[in-house]
Amino acid sequence: MSAGRAELVVDGFPPRRPRWAQIATSPDHKDVGRVLIAASLGFLFMALVELLLMRLQLAIPENTFLDPVTFNRVLSLYGATAIFLFAIPLALGFFYYVAPLQIGARGTALPRLGQLGLWFYVAGATVLYAGFLFTPSEAGVNPLPPLSELAFLPNNGVDAWAAACGLATLGFVLLAINLLATLRKLRAPGMAWRRLPVFSWAAAIASWLLIVTGAVMLAAITMLLIDRNFDGIFFADGAGGAPLLWQHLSWIFYSGTYMLILVFALAAIAEIVPAAARKPLFNRDAVIGSLVAIAVLGTLAWMQNMLTAPIGLGWMYFAMLMSLALIVPFGLVFFNLVATMIGGTLRLRAPLLFSIGALASIVIGLGAEISHSMVAAAWQLKNTTDATAATHFALVGGAVFGGFAALHWWFPKLTGRTMGETLARFSFWTMVAGMLIAFVPLFLAGGIEGQVIDAYKFFAGEGLDAYNLIATIGAFVLAAGILMSVANAILSREGGVVAGHDPWGGDSLDWFALSPPEPHNFDVLPDVRSARPLHDIREAIGHRAARAESAPVERESQPVA
Amino acid sequence: MAPHSPGTDQIDTLLWIGFAASAIVIVAVLGALLYAVRRYRGERGAEPRQLTGGRRLQFRVAATLTAFAAAIFVVSIVFTEKAREAPVTGPDGLEAASEEPLRIETTGQQWLWRYDYPNEAFSYYKLVVPVDTEVELELASTDVVHTWDVPDLAGKADAVPGKTNHVFFRADEEGDYLGQSATLSGQAYAAMRTEVEVVSPEEYEAFVEQRKSDIQAAQDRVVELIENGETP
Repeated sequence: MSAGRAELVVDGFPPRRPRWAQIATSPDHKDVGRVLIAASLGFLFMALVELLLMRLQLAIPENTFLDPVTFNRVLSLYGATAIFLFAIPLALGFFYYVAPLQIGARGTALPRLGQLGLWFYVAGATVLYAGFLFTPSEAGVNPLPPLSELAFLPNNGVDAWAAACGLATLGFVLLAINLLATLRKLRAPGMAWRRLPVFSWAAAIASWLLIVTGAVMLAAITMLLIDRNFDGIFFADGAGGAPLLWQHLSWIFYSGTYMLILVFALAAIAEIVPAAARKPLFNRDAVIGSLVAIAVLGTLAWMQNMLTAPIGLGWMYFAMLMSLALIVPFGLVFFNLVATMIGGTLRLRAPLLFSIGALASIVIGLGAEISHSMVAAAWQLKNTTDATAATHFALVGGAVFGGFAALHWWFPKLTGRTMGETLARFSFWTMVAGMLIAFVPLFLAGGIEGQVIDAYKFFAGEGLDAYNLIATIGAFVLAAGILMSVANAILSREGGVVAGHDPWGGDSLDWFALSPPEPHNFDVLPDVRSARPLHDIREAIGHRAARAESAPVERESQPVA
Repeated sequence: MAPHSPGTDQIDTLLWIGFAASAIVIVAVLGALLYAVRRYRGERGAEPRQLTGGRRLQFRVAATLTAFAAAIFVVSIVFTEKAREAPVTGPDGLEAASEEPLRIETTGQQWLWRYDYPNEAFSYYKLVVPVDTEVELELASTDVVHTWDVPDLAGKADAVPGKTNHVFFRADEEGDYLGQSATLSGQAYAAMRTEVEVVSPEEYEAFVEQRKSDIQAAQDRVVELIENGETP
């Protein structure tokens, strides 16, 4: 008679499908965002492999490690991987995961559209790497017609490139449409645009950038496919087409993407710095306005990439004006970030460390870009490794340093665990050393000796040997540093220190949700009455505690915030 | 790079100005970052004052930045205009070119540069020009986009099919100037190089005459072979 009743213990509902199938078929913005972030980190690894292959070939003069065709294939793949498969989806992944949480939404407005966007991106990545198995593109980072036309590259490598990048871009546009619809329609009560966190503003800006410039790129890619497969003449000279047309269209997209990556990084840093300094952003309106200006002016500066092309001098000056005008909004963002640090008590944890690295790297890249915007100076500097170095300082600064700042920052939200601090520090300083050793010599090789980009070899006796050897060593150091952080993320998913819902003392609603958030994000939402809803809650709790101490008997219950 | 033409002299100066502007920006921002991090680093401490900045300060910063950008813009235009002024042929130059520039049709093709001289002589890879003479290259391309790049003599310019681009220079010293292509044009792109040999006007005249008669002789030989029923 003493035998007890068997107890039935249920820990939630048993999963109906395996976990990967659950995530793959989930339209939830957190699952889509996680897949985007994870996939882009995977492609960061591929981009590194390709970069190292090219640097190995360029380690010594007249090297024969890679033949020219293979080099051009690796180069084309590197460009597409770094831009379309790593940088944009990483930024979009964070926007897609974080922005709905920050505005207090319980989901997205058009979840299936976003899911479709994710799968277009995955399809694009598959096509690109499937293409690599048989005939990859040989046309370079930006496949300029007529080289990318059928007459000069008759195998279907460029078609694979165009299909891959087209699918990915279409996916990004769909994700951007959903993000914008969510930001417009699903903000929590009280979450006016003037109270929207900077990162959510950046999500809106980035979405607009993708909708506008992504559509332009889709048009250009369609034209290229028509030219190659259906006897089109869009980019054929003499038949009513123009090779320069592709340059205009593609540079509009690439310039927009450049700005998207920087807007993403600067906005993430504008979330991290105030929390780390325990002060509000010095001037929110100026930062948000500057990010909008960066997106608009930066895209309008597309012809900065065409200063040696046969275009009118007036257009060159227009491009220079737009590029140099960027000094103002970028300068204002830097000013406000530094001003936020001043007077604060900076907790120099990994996110802030990577933020400072990102800011330093971005300012070196953008500072160097000033010379590339000055018309006559650009005639000398364009298409030299000086440009390679400037672009890499700005974009590795934005996408890798900035992306890692965001990763360390939101990792507790994504997984419920914190990334290891020691490994983060090792990774950071290795990356800093790698950046300087890899790209400063390229500045010198391009600026002083005029070494040209994209060439599969350089010649001995032209003063380039030392620069290139050092750059190759630096690329390996940089890759080692980056891989440490990727390894840190993988290890910390299971083994990191368990984090609460708000490990950093953040001000926005993403830190109000659990870590990781429930599928519906929030059970309840606080009323939003300022741009810093969580700060308001902490203050209200502080006041209540103070009152409780001074007059414990007369304490009355007060609603939080 | 060492400038050897009036245009590249201007470009060289502008490059130094650009370098100075970059250095100012980079040093200012890195210095401010470093100062802020070192000075205000602290794990604990009292809650800092919740300071924010007013609009007026932002306008002042924006005005300073605008002035900086505007100065660079104006200086760039001044030097660009100077750099693209067509240089006038000097006293040591080719006499025939004293009024009009010496026009040389320059054609990029995978993976060679072809130079067509006014007297119908042509050469591949190597361009021979007289010293102290205004030279105008008319850039064209027969296939893909190429970029003509001899850094000591002139800025880069693209040769785009269906369009003409122009490069002006006036070499101030006899000698060989190496150049290359600067836009990916296919598998032999890295080997698509060029050389400008600057010689005295007399040597130039002799060279183009020699080329012309050599080419004529070669063509005559081919015609002769065909007439004899042989395969050339």
